[in-house]
Amino acid sequence: MRQFARTYGMDFYENGDGICHQIVLERYASPYKIIVGGDSHTCTHGALGAFATGMGSTDVAAIMAYGKTWLKVPETVHVEVSGKLPKSVHSKDVFLELLSRITADGATYKALEFYGDTVETMSVESRATLSNMAIEAGAKVGMCAADEKVEAYLAHYGRGDEFTPLYADKDAIYVDEIRIRAETVVPMIAKPHKVDKVVPVTELEGQELDQVCIGSCTNGRIEDLRAAARILDGHRSKARLVVYPASRDVLLEALKEGVLETLLKAGASIGPPGCGFCIGRTVALGDGEVALSTQNRNFKGRMGNDTSFIYLSSPSTAAASAIEGKITDPRGLEH
Amino acid sequence: MKIEGKVVRVFPSDTNTDEIIAGKYKYDELDLNKLARHTFESLDTHFYDDCKRLKDPILVAGANFGCGSSREQAPQVLKACGISCVIADSFARIFYRNGFNIGLPLVECESMSNNVTRGEMLNVDFGKGVIRSENQNAEYHFKPIPQFMQELLAKGGLMQYLDARGGFTD
Repeated sequence: MRQFARTYGMDFYENGDGICHQIVLERYASPYKIIVGGDSHTCTHGALGAFATGMGSTDVAAIMAYGKTWLKVPETVHVEVSGKLPKSVHSKDVFLELLSRITADGATYKALEFYGDTVETMSVESRATLSNMAIEAGAKVGMCAADEKVEAYLAHYGRGDEFTPLYADKDAIYVDEIRIRAETVVPMIAKPHKVDKVVPVTELEGQELDQVCIGSCTNGRIEDLRAAARILDGHRSKARLVVYPASRDVLLEALKEGVLETLLKAGASIGPPGCGFCIGRTVALGDGEVALSTQNRNFKGRMGNDTSFIYLSSPSTAAASAIEGKITDPRGLEH
Repeated sequence: MKIEGKVVRVFPSDTNTDEIIAGKYKYDELDLNKLARHTFESLDTHFYDDCKRLKDPILVAGANFGCGSSREQAPQVLKACGISCVIADSFARIFYRNGFNIGLPLVECESMSNNVTRGEMLNVDFGKGVIRSENQNAEYHFKPIPQFMQELLAKGGLMQYLDARGGFTD
């Protein structure tokens, strides 16, 4: 891969620089771009108003060779989230709530577009979690409007000049509309071994955990690490706790803010920025072990062992659960 | 284009790419024939051998087949197992695209996973959009594969198709 990048004059990121999706979010994605990546979570960049979608290697090779690709314009599902999210409830929970309603093929070949004052209030990092998870509902893309928050995010990374506002037309046509009231969203968990096997955390409290993983392209950003640190501050994790920042920039920020120190004191093992635990390349689970992770998929064997079990949650739920060594409702713990 | 083969397996809905081929293998093995031995390993350790015992085996599955990752190894290993085509109630979209891109025929035909059983001989006509079961003396219809997609299959995949035409010509 290094040779390939060298031969064709491509930007190359080394081990330790971070997850590709986080790097693209920080350095390349912007409104109106059509972004194709050789990984299904390329949809993450919809949070910056890009039409971003994952394809296989051959499609990506064809784009590199010929500069073009075939795309069918997807129909759009309007997801409206309104109201104020309760404490300790985050965008991950909002998406899991959505997924529980539409299931794993509920948005197959459709565009998910996220609207509503709840989304408008969310930071770009929070929105990125929504966009990232879009593929778990089978969607082609998961987009948010490119508003002043997107402009500020781009400016933060020295790319303010790449901003153009992007909003849906007032008379845009949607194939479906889904409404979610933020006040009714609770911390959610996706049970093994399917992402759409979603239940409220209260149904699984007490489930013993061997390992808690915080990170991934879904929830490995500084906001996610901060949320985890807030809860873990002054506590020691009973379960094995692993934290993988999504990029070098996130790791540096966590270091600067003292978030890293809090996590380390809580017993966390800090991994190099990257996918690591999500795909079982590092800290693989043992036979019959149970993990709770902030990633996007819990398919059988994904974390390196076919007899293990993976639950998915938000960073807050993961942090609260690490303290107890069991799945724990984060509400009431966060201060 | 026509295919005749026995149904080697009928898999349930939401059979995902991690189940088809675990992600961990793609970093260690580039040879698709070796990789193919791990196809559906976590669900069914006899899959590869059973496929190799048949001529043009057909895989049947429920809805949303191939959901999950965009890894091309998923359709690649199925092809390397000798699967002649996959018939599913519906396909996840990245997998669907990848299948045609690497020359693996895919047929979307509602409720097929309920209509056929393992071991049955099926006859698939891509141009007419008909699946015939001799056992049942029945025919099932699907939307015929568009001509250019049949050409993709005939050429062996997207790169071969594009190279022959010198690119994305209209």
